[in-house]
Amino acid sequence: MIKLIDINKTYPGVVPLHVLKGINLHVEKGELVSIMGASGSGKSTLLNILGILDNYDTGDYYLDGLLIKNLSENKAAELRNKMIGFVFQSFNLINYKDALENVALPLFYQGISRRQRNKMAMEQLDRMGLADRAHHLPSELSGGQKQRVAIARALITNPSIILADEPTGALDSKTSHDVMNIFKDLNADTGKTIVIVTHDPGVGAQTNRIIRISDGIIEE
Amino acid sequence: MFDLFREIYQTLRNNKLRTFLTGISVAWGIFMLIILLGMARGVTNGFEDSPGNRGTNTIAVWGGRTSKAYAGYKEGRTIQLKNKDTGNIKSEGGEHIDDVTSFINGSSSVISTPHDYITARYRGVYPSYLKLQGEEITEGRFINEADMEYKRKVIVLTRKNANILFEDTTKIVGGIVEMGGLSFTVIGVFDPEWGEDTFIPYTTAKMINGDKDDVDNLTVTIKDVYTQEDCHKVELNIRQSLANVHNFNYDDNSAIWVWNRFNQYLTAQSAMGILQAVIWIIGILTMLSGIVGVSNIMFVSVKERTHEIGIRRAIGAKPKNILTQILMESVAITGLFGYIGVFFGILATEGISMIEMKGISNPTVDITIAIQVTVVLILSGCLAGLFPALKALKVKPVEALRDE
Repeated sequence: MIKLIDINKTYPGVVPLHVLKGINLHVEKGELVSIMGASGSGKSTLLNILGILDNYDTGDYYLDGLLIKNLSENKAAELRNKMIGFVFQSFNLINYKDALENVALPLFYQGISRRQRNKMAMEQLDRMGLADRAHHLPSELSGGQKQRVAIARALITNPSIILADEPTGALDSKTSHDVMNIFKDLNADTGKTIVIVTHDPGVGAQTNRIIRISDGIIEE
Repeated sequence: MFDLFREIYQTLRNNKLRTFLTGISVAWGIFMLIILLGMARGVTNGFEDSPGNRGTNTIAVWGGRTSKAYAGYKEGRTIQLKNKDTGNIKSEGGEHIDDVTSFINGSSSVISTPHDYITARYRGVYPSYLKLQGEEITEGRFINEADMEYKRKVIVLTRKNANILFEDTTKIVGGIVEMGGLSFTVIGVFDPEWGEDTFIPYTTAKMINGDKDDVDNLTVTIKDVYTQEDCHKVELNIRQSLANVHNFNYDDNSAIWVWNRFNQYLTAQSAMGILQAVIWIIGILTMLSGIVGVSNIMFVSVKERTHEIGIRRAIGAKPKNILTQILMESVAITGLFGYIGVFFGILATEGISMIEMKGISNPTVDITIAIQVTVVLILSGCLAGLFPALKALKVKPVEALRDE
């Protein structure tokens, strides 16, 4: 599903920063993996590249068999929309939109009609057990609920992979556990490929495989 | 499209006060523009309605005194216009000459009835005279061709004089007045804004004056003239035609006096055009401060929403989507508040039009201006949103990952 071949990335500057130094990584379809590393290890940069949010300098990145390289902004946006579901540490919900509208937003950019969008969004919310919270603003939801709304949003376009960036970072241990269970269930029930970036060993331990990154190199 | 409006409505509602305060400046700019345009329209209307601007398709000619020696004649010779000049100009003046008429100024005479008397000047005129003056008969009729042909002793009085002369003001038309020992039948009454002239047929006046061939004035009516150039050509033709007959140099400006009213009209027209243009410029400059305000607030908005834009980009918004959203927001603000300004502007001009003012008539705006203003609003909105939108485009999707 994900295939990285000798990926290099340098941030230009007065002192160029070589962040990724030849990353090779394979994630099979249906895997639940975690990427762990200390702050500054390059794991965020790796996540950006995996999420087609950022470019890399050399190497090749195949996502679901598709070479992701030198894409136009439009093409990148389209691929993000269709192939990748993002779950962020700080939830990244739009604060003036209610839960339903937040979940439906990716479909807005696919040009799907409002009625259809809301129907699909409602189904996803229902799956997350949040049907009764559909018309609440993010500020009216608890941390766990917000993260579940964010997961619903990530799932709505039926993407190939879910990329989660410290999904439990802002949650207490109880809700962290709940959110991890959702990921595990998703992986088990629907066979979604899920990549979780974290520095929490407790989270890493719940995944099938831990990929450790340190100083821009993957340690096996 | 409807979805886009929904998005815009949500974001604008999110910042009600800020949107409102920004919008006020746009509304004010448009309000001023509408008022100014309305007033300009009023001045233009007032100018076109004024009595002095009726009969603007005429060129009046009087005899003068030569200032140049010509063909053996010394300068300082008086040029006396003659009856036959009317025919000459008509035949030699060219295609733009519609008609040539004249009038004879009578001396001041006593006009009397058994009831009362007045002292007034009479003028012998052609049937077309009244229309050229922009006046209308309010009772009875004006002099007609038959009056001219039979040299009838008929007279047209002003309302003011008629009311003095006749005790029973319902029986003015058809009444008899005495003037210079002759009896005249009153055929009509008119109500001039100024002047107290009394009119009799040209031919009758000529007869009273001893059938002299002299005329005091020629009034040339012109047609199908739209440019100053054509107008000057007609004037020149008239001068040349008269110069041939009366033996003076055609560019001797004092030999005959020419009052080219059409030329004046054209000049005034272009002055009105300039007024209109100046007002658009002032109005748009006033609006510019509103536009800058909107632009500013859109910058703030984009800055504030950097994270949100990042999220939108991350979940699949294309640059085009972001660009349209910011531009449309800007157009929505300027459009909405612009129309509030238009609304109050039209209310105000309607209010002003209730007040009687000299030289201004009906200072309201019409549908053309409303359309022009709409175009201006949309363009201003785009302009105001352009730079903020370009800034928004620079927001990378990676922003979504940055913690707030």
